[in-house]
Amino acid sequence: MEYLASNKIAIIDLATRDIIEEELEDDLVLEKIGGVGITKSLYDRFADENPIVLGTGLLTGSLVPGSALSVITAKSPSTGRVSHVPLTLDAGMELKYSGFDYMVIKGAADKPVYLWVHDGIADLNDAEDLWGKDVWAATDRIRDLMGDDLIQVLGIGEAGEKGSDLAQISINYWQSGDRMGFGSLFGKKRLKLIAIRGMGLLEIAEPEEFVEHCAGLLSALKSGKTSGMKGIATMAAAMGEADIEGWLKPLTHKHMACFNTPVPTNTFVFLDEDPALLKETSVAEPGFLLTDISPLLTLKRLGLTAADACRILKACAKYGMDGAAVAELSEKTGLKDPEAIKGSLPNLKGPVSSSGNAVFSPWAAVGNQEPKTWMRREAVAYIFGLHPIFALMAPELTEEKLLEISSLGTGLELTSETLDEVIADITG
Amino acid sequence: MLASCAVSVMNNNEPCKVREGRRYPRIGIYTGKGASHSWLWFVEVFDRIGFFDIAFLTETHIRGQGLDRCDVLAMSGGDTFAIAKALGPEGADSLTRFITHGGLYIGSCAGAYLPLHSSKEHLNLFNFVPAKIANLTRTLPEPQRLREKFCTAYGCSFIFHPVREAVRVGTNGFPPFKQAPSLNAPLYGGPPMIAGDSAQVLAVYSGFTEKTVFLVDEQLAADTVLGKAAVIRQKMGRGHLHLYGPHFEHPRFTMANQLLADAMLWDLRRDPVQVGDNTSDPVLLSGEDCRNLLRDIKREMSNSRVVAVGLETLPVQWKIGNKVYETAKIREFIEPVWQRIRRIEKLNQLILLPGQASRLLQAASKTTRLLRKVKGDTNRGVDTLPAARNMFEALNLLSTLFLDIYFRTRLNSFPQTHP
Repeated sequence: MEYLASNKIAIIDLATRDIIEEELEDDLVLEKIGGVGITKSLYDRFADENPIVLGTGLLTGSLVPGSALSVITAKSPSTGRVSHVPLTLDAGMELKYSGFDYMVIKGAADKPVYLWVHDGIADLNDAEDLWGKDVWAATDRIRDLMGDDLIQVLGIGEAGEKGSDLAQISINYWQSGDRMGFGSLFGKKRLKLIAIRGMGLLEIAEPEEFVEHCAGLLSALKSGKTSGMKGIATMAAAMGEADIEGWLKPLTHKHMACFNTPVPTNTFVFLDEDPALLKETSVAEPGFLLTDISPLLTLKRLGLTAADACRILKACAKYGMDGAAVAELSEKTGLKDPEAIKGSLPNLKGPVSSSGNAVFSPWAAVGNQEPKTWMRREAVAYIFGLHPIFALMAPELTEEKLLEISSLGTGLELTSETLDEVIADITG
Repeated sequence: MLASCAVSVMNNNEPCKVREGRRYPRIGIYTGKGASHSWLWFVEVFDRIGFFDIAFLTETHIRGQGLDRCDVLAMSGGDTFAIAKALGPEGADSLTRFITHGGLYIGSCAGAYLPLHSSKEHLNLFNFVPAKIANLTRTLPEPQRLREKFCTAYGCSFIFHPVREAVRVGTNGFPPFKQAPSLNAPLYGGPPMIAGDSAQVLAVYSGFTEKTVFLVDEQLAADTVLGKAAVIRQKMGRGHLHLYGPHFEHPRFTMANQLLADAMLWDLRRDPVQVGDNTSDPVLLSGEDCRNLLRDIKREMSNSRVVAVGLETLPVQWKIGNKVYETAKIREFIEPVWQRIRRIEKLNQLILLPGQASRLLQAASKTTRLLRKVKGDTNRGVDTLPAARNMFEALNLLSTLFLDIYFRTRLNSFPQTHP
């Protein structure tokens, strides 16, 4: 595929350390469009080898507003189903520019390894000195080792190393939308982390028209209902939990958007100093980025202070455990003491309902949407590479518009019939 | 003398077509001690034109017989004193012999200062062109900005740089500079010159542009620079020197590139040099072996690129010799290699000298290691000057080794145009 793609799929065998590269054929894109359409197809192809498939959306990393998403497809240890989790912040975009559109990771290494993806090169390296480190320490170590703080790290902590079904794949230091226990898949494969740096370029088939359409979309969004929305509390308000804003406000330092996403859906809190501080902080671990509203809501229901709730989520992030699952299990067991909750992490076990009952991570749940509508909208976001929360909130991103822009970007004729077929395949 | 030239500085995929009576030039580019990254600008321009017969020469090559097979020597910007010292008396003799026997010396910026008359130690070995440096002063004016790039000590005097970036240059309108009456070219410390009687002024500084950055009072800058010679052509024996104050070889200034190329062909000697190639027989690498080597090179270059970009976010710079190096200079070395890896991948073959592949890989690996050390030490607040000095030397060597293979491969891919 010539446009909007690096034109490469990596097939990585952790057992043999063989890395095979394939071209991303136009025919595959015409049949499956992109994102989860293709990760699911690649999963099916390698299903016997328990693969983890990473993939980028067709429009990921482009000028299309909200184009922040890449996806991981694998069989969830929590649900037993082939599921899809979102890669947001800057990780989705970084993967798009890394020189690979899709990566299939199969087999298991006999000793800890990490995958270093850069400029169309995928290297498997020994990770003996990373194994045992928490998510934060491992992220710091790999960035120091490779010499760049912009490297995006998809990694696991102790939870994943131990194979906990509640383990998640973190994005850098922060919690991800992995509610499916994919962290334990990394652990079982002895894959500590994937470090990604994307400094490539994407070609666009019809650049002028493509940019024009993107600008038009952005303009429409500016006068739409998402205009002015900011922070993680925005999602809570949409779920009828508006009072969380006041609960969180004393800690709120700033709000942060994922790549090219008009609504900043993440909130950065300061826990050990004045949140109004503008100069560079001198605290060793300055604050915490809240990326998931669900555990906050649960911990608030338990009667915890916002600071205690955030400290628990920070501990989850370092340990590499899904905060939503921890909050749910704490609520179930009636555990309310923050230190006791943090201390319970190594022994926590499911099952949990926070994995949801759909093929998509329930991380993106805004308002009381009808399940069928939610499912279709998620599928569209995961195919085209749109931030799944933003896509739910922004009706301006219509399927017709996305197909039109995709055709301009790729030079391929993509139809609504194909989109319907791909969605049916994924959600069926 | 040749008639008007017919090369284009636009991107070419083939070597320059050489018309009857002209020869395909063998060009030496100085990459030794004192040369800054700007030698890579010559690389870019010659590559675009399609001049693939390139030799990369250090001070050791020039002191020896490295110039014997060259028609042209391109001396880039850098640290004039360091270049002069590195070349020494043997280098000066070699240069004298090269030019008087019909060779063409192209000097840009530091390379232009080098052969101007001087009484200073080392520099006085290269008194080839009787022209004065107009920006030489005993009393330094007050700099208005970029203090660290403002001046260089020159014995008891100083060379100061009144302006930087693009300036306006007016040509004399005669061959070989007849294609443009005036043009822009960037000035990064090169000399405004006052030519002696024997020198031909091809162009003068005629004005400033909206991009010009004034390091001193504007009136003083105008008095020092405007009307002075920007490009000088000097005959010496059977050969010539072309001295450029502004960087006509800067790849973003295509009209200046064009004039530089035209002038080069204009004064190119007609008789081919009659010295055989004393280098070892090159070997052809193709297929899987070629792909694997390119992949290994690409891996290390990518690792270096990643650190280089990471370093660019940090407020650090180094003074090495008389030159100030910012972190952005690192990618000036890396990107020309990076861009050419893709081009050479398409050829799916490499022409190398024996042992060159392993030397290249070692240099690439060492460069990555040094870059990571500089980044790590910077983060930890450790003095990085010694490591940075090694890093730039490694970058220089790496670029040279790769580009040598690149040009040899490109040249041999089109053997029909090589004499």
